[in-house]
Amino acid sequence: MAEEVKDEVMEEDAQKGKFMTFQTGKEYFGISISYVNEIIAMQPITAIPEVDEYVKGLINLRGKIIPVIDVRVRFKMEPKEYTDRTCIIVIDVKSTTVGLIVEKIAEVDTIVDDDIVPPPALGHKDKERNKYVYGLARTGDTVKLLLDPEKLIKQEVLEVLEEIQEKEES
Amino acid sequence: MAEEFNTDSMLSVYLYENGQLLEKLEGIILEKQDESFDDSDINEIFRIMHTIKGSSGMMMYENIAKVSHKLEDVFYYLRESHPDDVPHEELVEKVLAVSDFITEEIDKIKDGEDPDGDESELLDDLDEFLGRLKGEIKTQGIRLPKPNKSEEPTQFYITPVAEDDSHFYRIVIHYRNDTQMSNIRAYSATYALKEIAEDLLFTPDDILSNEASADVILNEGFHMLLQTKTCKDDVYDLIDSSEAEQITLDEITAEDYGRELMEFGREDGDVPPGAPPIVINLDDDPQAAKDDKKETPSPGDYVVKKKAAGKGKTLAKNQTKQQTIISVNVEKMDALMDLIGELVIAEAVVLQNPDLKVPGLELSNFQKASTQLSKITTELQEVIMSMRMMPLTATFQKMKRIVFDASRKLGKDIELEIIGENTEVDKNIIEHISDPLMHLVRNSVDHGIEENVADRIALGKSAKGKITLMAKNEGGKVFISVKDDGKGLSKEKLYKKALQNGLIDNKPISDFQEKEIFQFITLPGFSTKEQVTELSGRGVGMDVVVKNIQDIGGRLDIESVEGSGSEMTLMIPLTLAIINGIVVQVGNSFFVIETASIKEFVRLTEESMIQEPSGEEYIVIRGECYSFIRLNERYNLSESSTKVDDGIVVVLDHEGRQVCILIDKLLQEQEIVVKPIPSYIKKVKGLSGCTQLGDGSIALILDIGGLIQNEERR
Repeated sequence: MAEEVKDEVMEEDAQKGKFMTFQTGKEYFGISISYVNEIIAMQPITAIPEVDEYVKGLINLRGKIIPVIDVRVRFKMEPKEYTDRTCIIVIDVKSTTVGLIVEKIAEVDTIVDDDIVPPPALGHKDKERNKYVYGLARTGDTVKLLLDPEKLIKQEVLEVLEEIQEKEES
Repeated sequence: MAEEFNTDSMLSVYLYENGQLLEKLEGIILEKQDESFDDSDINEIFRIMHTIKGSSGMMMYENIAKVSHKLEDVFYYLRESHPDDVPHEELVEKVLAVSDFITEEIDKIKDGEDPDGDESELLDDLDEFLGRLKGEIKTQGIRLPKPNKSEEPTQFYITPVAEDDSHFYRIVIHYRNDTQMSNIRAYSATYALKEIAEDLLFTPDDILSNEASADVILNEGFHMLLQTKTCKDDVYDLIDSSEAEQITLDEITAEDYGRELMEFGREDGDVPPGAPPIVINLDDDPQAAKDDKKETPSPGDYVVKKKAAGKGKTLAKNQTKQQTIISVNVEKMDALMDLIGELVIAEAVVLQNPDLKVPGLELSNFQKASTQLSKITTELQEVIMSMRMMPLTATFQKMKRIVFDASRKLGKDIELEIIGENTEVDKNIIEHISDPLMHLVRNSVDHGIEENVADRIALGKSAKGKITLMAKNEGGKVFISVKDDGKGLSKEKLYKKALQNGLIDNKPISDFQEKEIFQFITLPGFSTKEQVTELSGRGVGMDVVVKNIQDIGGRLDIESVEGSGSEMTLMIPLTLAIINGIVVQVGNSFFVIETASIKEFVRLTEESMIQEPSGEEYIVIRGECYSFIRLNERYNLSESSTKVDDGIVVVLDHEGRQVCILIDKLLQEQEIVVKPIPSYIKKVKGLSGCTQLGDGSIALILDIGGLIQNEERR
């Protein structure tokens, strides 16, 4: 009986366990759909000087000016030409709106908590990347890397702070 | 004298601001209902009371000013002495009582009445409470003079003691429909009757203050109840009948009179709500003719009919004094602006749609319709822009009043000069600077200008003090300065005072720069004035100023020369202001330069360049040497010409310093809306914001000050 009630609650929460997945390089990544605001086609980007390479610049989202990040560059992959499959996923993380440039949108997947495993600890070498990948999920025959957008953003701020500190020290 | 000022707009601002403050106050109280206030709460309540006191004093609402002053006293004590055993529940009760009282009075003002609530009980209550807090029963603080006009509410409806030889009359005057200013005529009638009246009551009662009462008088007639010793004929003669259509004068019995007094105001349902009759008690007039009373009341006597009575217009305007300002959530305004921006872009997409470019397409009707559409969207854009922007005129007007009142009170002769009152500022910002500006102006009057005219003359200054209020829009910021030619700030005094109050550690005066010392006055709890007055002097002023300014991301600069005056400058960023800018192109990027900071555009050749061995470049224009920035190099922009010959050199001026930049192309001049760069992106030197151009693309706004600073640091 109790389980039935629980199921109902789960059903009502349509966003629960749903992930927006996209492909970058060979890997598939997923972001919890609750963060995703919308997906828009590639737009003209206004570059901003003196920012990190992966911050591509600003776009005009119906009058709202938001920064966009190239996920490939963010993950330290070689940048690739934008095509007509290139999309911008607009995410809202703690009142910050950011656009993520991704190569290809895949689909919305339902991933239950049980299928998510924490990323294997690879020693300290790969620490950098694992900070925003909080779990791996197997759906079908692919493994998806689940991203924690909050960390993605927070990371940013931390790095900026570190940079400022470095600059001051030097 | 007060009539000189337009009090209407001031009143609505007063009502709006105080409404907000009271809301904030209640918020604090309700949040901290069960636990004691911490220091910031006490400071906040204190500030709220201080502001209400100040503005109410200015608007001459003395009972509100007094009550808030008293509560301010209580919180002043709490703030200064930190007593341990504060009965919190009782304190909350008191604050709420005060808040209720003020709210009630403000509601009365909104309805066009005088705030006539009796404050004495509340004052005594607060006094007693404060006394107990201090552990001694004594009154404290400066008592304001007793009000001279407020009427005890208990006086309403009480029949004055009827003397044997008094007559009672019910008078109704109907004016002709086309009578101009019937309210003034009605007033002159009451004025004439006051001479002989022992008691006079009339409705509508707000004939002078409320112009709409003229309509009521025309429709309903003007009703009066009169108690007098004068006989009927004389009363009739006193009433000016020139424009009257019908005057009804009935003598009634004392009992009827009492009863009618009770019913007065209720007898015609169309009398505007919130206009209870006012009883004017007049002293017995010695001149009142001692007429014998012999006539028995006979209603209907002396009914003079000049024309058939007609009710005429039936517009019963419900004319209560409502605020003409409505506050709209800024987010909604932003959303609307964004939508309109989007509309403009969508419009461009439709009108320049490639599908229309089919050769030989007949488009004349489409062109007509599209011109109409463009016109409407342009207008729409202008309207939304203007909705957000307001000139500082109203705010400066308020300052005039403050200088006038404050200088009167202090007996100083002060002239106020206003420069740049038409500077347009975002509405949001105006709301935030009004209070700080009020404090600054008051401080200038109170502390700045010398008390002694002789002191001024001795220093070779004119006897009349001068305060200059100036506003300008420069470099994406609004500068508002309050300058006085008074005694200026004394560094030694400020230092000593700060040391005394324990605001600074025991550092020697030489450790501080001049500007730092001046900034002491902005610390909470700092005041160089011993005496606490209604105007200023509790050291709340300046820290309120700084807090409010910081809230909107601005800062306060203080400059002063002892003996010749001080200047306080508010620097406020234009988070959402419109600036007039020139759009330029460098490589594939668009930049906006504020038109005001551009001195000239020149085309130069490589020959005018000077290169230092270190790589730094200068440029010589007509013999003047300027430092030179290549924007494309500075910001690593590709696809841009590096040759001076191909580009355009822009000479920029910022606060007297010049710099030249090299750009590729000039595009257009236009009004742009400044938007902040998303906070996610770290601050880039030399960029102050971004904006959306007509076609939807984004341009970055150059911050000339930042560019120059950066250049100098290299």
